[in-house]
Amino acid sequence: MIVRIASGITGFDSLTAAGDDLGLGLGGIPENTVTLIYGPQEVGKSSFCYGFAYYGLTQDEPCLYLTTDMGIKEISENFKDMELVLDEYLENNMLYVVDAASSDGESNGYDWYQSASVRNPTDILVKVTSGARSISQKTPRLRGVIDSLTTVLESNNEMLIVRVLKTYILRLKEAGGTAVITYTEGSADPRTEILIKSMVDNIIKLDGEKIIIEAMKGMGRKEAPYQITGSGIVINGSR
Amino acid sequence: MSESGIPGLDEFLSSSGYIEGFPDNTTTLIYGPPKVGKSIFCYQFAYHGLSIKEPCLYVTADDGMKQLQQNMIDFGWFLQSSIGEELLYVIDSISSLSGVPIENTNTYTLSKINDPTDLMVKVGLGTRFVFKKSNEFRAVFDSLTTPFAFNPEPMVIRFLKTYLRRLKEAGATVIVTYTEGVADESTEKTLKSIVDNVIMLDGNYMTFKSSLGFIGTAEYKITDQGLVLGKGEVL
Amino acid sequence: MKKTHIPKLDDFLGGGIPSGSSVLFYADPGVECEAFGYQTLQGRLEDGDYGFIFTNVTEPSSIIYEFEKFGWDLAKSVDEGKAFFVDGSSYFIGAPVTGKYGIEDYSEIEEVVLKAIADVPDGLGVINNLSTLMDYMNDEETVRIINKWNQFAKEQDTILLYIFTEWDYDEELIQKIKDSMDCLINLNTIEERVIIGQGFMVTGASWITPSDNMVLFNILRPGGVKIFIPKILVTGPFNAGKSSFVKNITTDSVSVDRMAMGQVPTTIAMDIGHMEYKGFTADVFGTPGQERFDLILDVLSKEAVGAFILVDSTAPKTFPRAKEMMKKCKAEAIPRVIVANKQDLPDSLSPEEIRKVMNIDPSIPIIPVSLTRNEGIEEALDALLEILYR
Repeated sequence: MIVRIASGITGFDSLTAAGDDLGLGLGGIPENTVTLIYGPQEVGKSSFCYGFAYYGLTQDEPCLYLTTDMGIKEISENFKDMELVLDEYLENNMLYVVDAASSDGESNGYDWYQSASVRNPTDILVKVTSGARSISQKTPRLRGVIDSLTTVLESNNEMLIVRVLKTYILRLKEAGGTAVITYTEGSADPRTEILIKSMVDNIIKLDGEKIIIEAMKGMGRKEAPYQITGSGIVINGSR
Repeated sequence: MSESGIPGLDEFLSSSGYIEGFPDNTTTLIYGPPKVGKSIFCYQFAYHGLSIKEPCLYVTADDGMKQLQQNMIDFGWFLQSSIGEELLYVIDSISSLSGVPIENTNTYTLSKINDPTDLMVKVGLGTRFVFKKSNEFRAVFDSLTTPFAFNPEPMVIRFLKTYLRRLKEAGATVIVTYTEGVADESTEKTLKSIVDNVIMLDGNYMTFKSSLGFIGTAEYKITDQGLVLGKGEVL
Repeated sequence: MKKTHIPKLDDFLGGGIPSGSSVLFYADPGVECEAFGYQTLQGRLEDGDYGFIFTNVTEPSSIIYEFEKFGWDLAKSVDEGKAFFVDGSSYFIGAPVTGKYGIEDYSEIEEVVLKAIADVPDGLGVINNLSTLMDYMNDEETVRIINKWNQFAKEQDTILLYIFTEWDYDEELIQKIKDSMDCLINLNTIEERVIIGQGFMVTGASWITPSDNMVLFNILRPGGVKIFIPKILVTGPFNAGKSSFVKNITTDSVSVDRMAMGQVPTTIAMDIGHMEYKGFTADVFGTPGQERFDLILDVLSKEAVGAFILVDSTAPKTFPRAKEMMKKCKAEAIPRVIVANKQDLPDSLSPEEIRKVMNIDPSIPIIPVSLTRNEGIEEALDALLEILYR
């Protein structure tokens, strides 16, 4: 029996519920796995991350958030637009941010905020690892987000990033985490893409119209239409 | 003749009259795109052997021991008693990256993913241990993907050649997994040429090619009991 | 001459390695080779030299941990500035680079190692592992760089010690590498379907004609490289002190009840133990003394490479029995030492007297020992090891 955690994305959990779940709603993302969310640009990959992270926060599950395109300010704005309030989580050490997008260390006074550079993946890994470790000392579960892997790949030797990613995955799982990683299709060498797809547990594609679950622990392939709404991603007609 | 542990596979292989079930004391490369069931094949193969008291030397290079056990539990395959009976010897070449200090035991040893010399030492020790238990044992290497990410391709090939030779000499039935597309074309060609048999999984069909000339294709599915073979055709 | 502190190796090399020499430890895949580099470095540091380790297979912190497992405090040497690392591993696996020098690109290696060599004149540099280097630089580059390092090291009087796993590389390439070294030491596996042992042998040295002995070894943690003696017998008449001797020289002896292999199905008590003494480890087998077990003596003594024959110095009546057992154990063909026990008792015969009475050839040492007083035992061990590895 695969244990799943609620994804925080409307319609996702019912899409992924097993047929014989007796209506108990046991869908979601398999616990302690890493899920790749990939697709073209602007299809809602970041929105998926917001939904995933935010839901966990509301359930007292801390989130370790590595952002490489949008700084924390921009992310907070996006959350506000979706009527999700981040401030208290940032203040209560529930949201740990490693910000490789902002140009300076504008921490906004949040307790756990680390700034990093996409050009220094080793440093990113050190900061993320230390975040995971301090969270895991306090709680047995955490959620992890990398948004997005593409930016890191673009600024470095791809093989190095593959290795850093492998290490991240191992350490995150060791800390009891469940992670979501975004990637823009075609943005890296085909060989690198295959390596990344081998290293994650679940692969989900967003193509702008359909969400396609290409591989997921304990499940066969599934797909459904979706929209990006003002309050995040909504998946329709799952059954 | 080994029992593969994949329902339908042994019968399918025998059906041609060419070979009798899963060939004993041979080396087999299992390859295909990501997420088609290559690792599941390994779990099933190892677990079935353990259930008939055939020891297994398991080199895990993608997942650490904890993860491996968890993955197998998802299918209802529990390793505790085999570990207790010292039938399963695990060489964990990846957990050292996670930074957690883990102790070696009699039948569990760590190695480093980017140190093939050390890995070969551990393989030697493990082979000796398992060989003392039985000179008919199974050897699993899951998978070559992470080694290719951490080492130059020629080094992985050199390592593999020595690994296959040693294990075959010791009497093992060996399976090695590889994700297609991770290494370059000529390396992939070499890979396929240094093993006795090749199994290709594409998500829907399993194709078995043996060095003795047998080729067969069968449908397969990933179920919550592992891989299961469906209809097949011998070519 | 700089000693390697690896048992027997310094003897084979005529005392040690001359300053400025280049040494290649080339190993069959599967042999634990890095211990040879690490043990030599540890030995040199203890002798007061400075040294470095260039690593491209594991991070410096792992190496420090390995040293700890061997029982050596490399961290202290690093803190005191006597040893340092050239970290050619961490960057490539995404870990923070540590050590005095770090490598982030393989084009830097040549210069960085030259700097490291310059930092330890009259010292030692360990390169672990040459095989991994060869895949990142092409064949010609590799040979050129190695020659440059060796030449510079010679000028600086620095010893360069290379660890090399001999995978199936192009033979010409391997030969070129070997030709560039002053000293070649082969680490090989002994295989019979599986690896059952490992041995080392000097196959070339520019300053002497090396001894062509191959020596079996084990790597102990703690301890390091130790010469392995597969089987030493302890035999002798009943009540001469065999059991006590075995217990004394081994760390963990057990008295085992074994089914007699042969005509008479009965259980016999044997003392078996594992010995670690100076640079050696051995499996020690004590034979039973009663005559009724003589039938199995030659089976028990199969493949023994050395023997201790215990005699009770106060009981000359048992001497013929001792000689008989020596014969039955086929001990005549192997190195042996007679241990004249109970020397503390008043009416004990001296070794010279024993030699006369037993008519023992002058080449066989007779060592006076008192097990109850714990005297003479080390001399007995030294005597046998001396003959075994002359």
